[in-house]
Amino acid sequence: MAITFTLNGKPQSVEVSPDMPLLWVLRDTLNMTGTKFGCGMALCGACTVHINGEATRSCITAISSVAGKKVTTIEGLSADGSHPVQLAWMEEDVPQCGYCQSGQIMSAVALLSKKPKPTDADIDDAMSGNICRCGTYQRIRKAIHRAASMPAGKAKSAA
Amino acid sequence: MSSIVTRRAFLKTSAATGASLLFPFCFSSSPRKTTNTDPTAAAPFLPNAWLELESDGGAKIWCGKSEVGQGVRTALPMLVAEELCCDWRRVQVVQADLDPKYGDQLTGGSLSVRTSYENLRKAGAAAREMLISAAAIEWNVPHSECRAENSAVHHPSTSRSFAYSQLFAAAAQLQPPADPPLKNPSDFRIVGKPTPRTDTAQKINGAARFGIDTRVPGMLIASLERCPVYGGTVRTSNAEKVRKMPGVRAVIELKPAHLTHQFGDESGPGSRNYSCAGVAVLADSTWSAMQARKALEVEWNEVEHAQETTASLREKFVKLVSSEGTVLRSDGDFEKAHASAAKKLEAIYEVPFLAHAAMEPPNCTAHVRDGECELWVPTQIPGAAAESVAQALGIPRERVKVHVTFIGGGFGRRLIQDYAVEAALISRDAHAPVQVIWTREDDIRHDFYRPAAYHRLHAGLDPQNNLIAWRHRATSPSIDIFYNGTGISPRGAAQLDGSSFPAFGVPHLRLEFAVADSGMPLGYWRSVENSGNQFVISSFFDEAAAAADRDPVEFLLAVLGPARKINSGSDSVIDIGRRRRVIELAAEKSNWGKPLPKSAGRGIAAHFGYGSYVAQVAEVSCDSATGNIRIHRVTCAIDCGTAVNPLGVQAQMEGAINFGLAAALKSAITVNRGRVEQSNFHDYEVLRLSDAPAAIDVHILPSTEPPGGCGEPGVPPIAAALGNAIFAATGKRIRRLPIRPADLRAP
Repeated sequence: MAITFTLNGKPQSVEVSPDMPLLWVLRDTLNMTGTKFGCGMALCGACTVHINGEATRSCITAISSVAGKKVTTIEGLSADGSHPVQLAWMEEDVPQCGYCQSGQIMSAVALLSKKPKPTDADIDDAMSGNICRCGTYQRIRKAIHRAASMPAGKAKSAA
Repeated sequence: MSSIVTRRAFLKTSAATGASLLFPFCFSSSPRKTTNTDPTAAAPFLPNAWLELESDGGAKIWCGKSEVGQGVRTALPMLVAEELCCDWRRVQVVQADLDPKYGDQLTGGSLSVRTSYENLRKAGAAAREMLISAAAIEWNVPHSECRAENSAVHHPSTSRSFAYSQLFAAAAQLQPPADPPLKNPSDFRIVGKPTPRTDTAQKINGAARFGIDTRVPGMLIASLERCPVYGGTVRTSNAEKVRKMPGVRAVIELKPAHLTHQFGDESGPGSRNYSCAGVAVLADSTWSAMQARKALEVEWNEVEHAQETTASLREKFVKLVSSEGTVLRSDGDFEKAHASAAKKLEAIYEVPFLAHAAMEPPNCTAHVRDGECELWVPTQIPGAAAESVAQALGIPRERVKVHVTFIGGGFGRRLIQDYAVEAALISRDAHAPVQVIWTREDDIRHDFYRPAAYHRLHAGLDPQNNLIAWRHRATSPSIDIFYNGTGISPRGAAQLDGSSFPAFGVPHLRLEFAVADSGMPLGYWRSVENSGNQFVISSFFDEAAAAADRDPVEFLLAVLGPARKINSGSDSVIDIGRRRRVIELAAEKSNWGKPLPKSAGRGIAAHFGYGSYVAQVAEVSCDSATGNIRIHRVTCAIDCGTAVNPLGVQAQMEGAINFGLAAALKSAITVNRGRVEQSNFHDYEVLRLSDAPAAIDVHILPSTEPPGGCGEPGVPPIAAALGNAIFAATGKRIRRLPIRPADLRAP
């Protein structure tokens, strides 16, 4: 049976097993590979997307639970990399290998939508579910503060 | 390259000595033929394998090393562009596939920039010289009167200029110079300038294609159940039953395949570098393959190693350090000096096995057909992937084509080609392109681990509190025996360096190593044995400073002695001046000696290797009720010679510190009945953002020396810097990693 949801602002319908996690629907069924597989147990955050604006680990989110909801992935954050969080990531030269960064950015965007001026403690709370083995944590902190200081009104999801 | 120094030996010795190895510079004998067949477009200029100049003023530069996050796709093209005198903003970086024209494509040993510094500059300079020659001929003026700048050749005395693109046709007729002149470093305009990475734009929008993102038409996904005990084989399985499950396309049994030695050396008799035996389940999607795999029931033929436990290995360790090991260095008379010392110290240090746990799980896409194999693989050594796969398939190496993808972290894991062999063997049997994807559990349980090690140290001080005696006995399983076989000499098997600090600073010094037998698969983990050894050495040294009641920085400098160059006996020179300067700079920048609140402290440690010099000061505080540590700041000083991209050096130091802190604070692999007990990030913990230092300050010493390595040398000092800071804050000495909060709670 088809499952219908909104993906990056557009209607999307998939016919897959209802227990298939959203991560694999995105990567294998829809060939959107920006969202990454890291652990399969919601332990590392590499697969983070937004569901109705909430940062969500897509590796443990059954596609059936997404029906009728709005999903935003890294590909839908902006058309041209101009989201304030993406700009801040560029300016701080954050990524190294880059594999975790889609998830880091999606978590950071969700944090800023709730707390436009987060403290370091807020950042610790919101970002500690996202592992980076290259060790870009100090730059992630700086980039979130930088994004928070950018002109208001820009920092919203494209979807 | 030299036939005397094998690459493996080089990786090992260069870590300690800082020797630099230059690969021969060679171009193909004539310029490449253009592939542009559009007669209306001006043909690009392709003087050699490394670059292509476009008629619109842009340039393509190929990167012959693997981008694992360390920034080679930025630093290496900078070297070409510097001598090419082109506009850096118009450079497009292209990842090179495996091809002999790119020389040695091994990415490891913190070698990429070091071994490319000459030859990539020459590649750019050769193109520049050809363009200058073409202009000089056209103007009928001496070559020496012309100069290149910003993608143009100028003749200053007549104010004439040609854009490079106007010279392509004429330059293409010229022979590339074999030994083009290189710029004086004082004329550098790109090298040495802080340069943002070239790959960030595609890493913030999901566009970067990692190995796991490879998509080949008709591709099946394979998920592989491997024998839980390394080296075992399949006895029986219910493959027939699983094959009939809906969605399952095939079930394929794999035998272990001996891997080609990753550095091209012979894997001698007794070497144990194999891919795992297992049963692979193939499906159209990753989820289907992983789900069906859960229905597999496999019985294994386990091997002798199935009895091994962390405790049984530790018993071997304890026994081995109770008597003399292979003597790696003996200066003066340790026994006598220690016996007569005014103060004596003794300590046991321990470090566990570690997994790499790179964020991108191992994976490879392979397509075997018509006696050929095409690979899309996140590997640090595409040549070894081709070699290992060719051997496993029984086809010539030339028939294996390797595409190098973006890589989601290397740290040494992707020096080993087991996952490429798995993909090739499964593709062959499935008669289809196949992507093997490891789960995180597969990754944690089937890694090639940083060896656990056990150290027993003694030191003696004279009545004036000078360090006069030092003995370090270490034992661990040997990576060198694992890959090279049991025929290797005891010295060659040692996982301790005979020339490392405090050698040359203690008159009576003895370094010994004993190999401990273990069935665990072993590998190269960012900074290899230095990751554990430097923790031990710099922590015990701090114990000696405390026993002497001397300031640790002052004590370090005193043992190093005055600035001088020491010939260490091999072909390398130890530069004490450079060692001293990083320690002095780290101390100065960290406000060493300035008072801190109660329960806070600073600790220092240094590492000299990979051609670089690194000193780090950690500043921490400790909550005695909970045992929790807060790392307020890490100050890092590095002398890496010429810092080709200072932004990249800074990022590598930050990353190395966080990577080393994961091992110091979080990670351990333990073994029971030959099985790794951890499986995912809940029980193999790594550093998270809330654990990371509030600040890391990196200070790069200005230098015109040739570049040193940067990927690894930032890792070894940090655990000791942290442990020494904890001692300064609490009086509690850290002698075992990872640090547990319980170790630090007030009684």
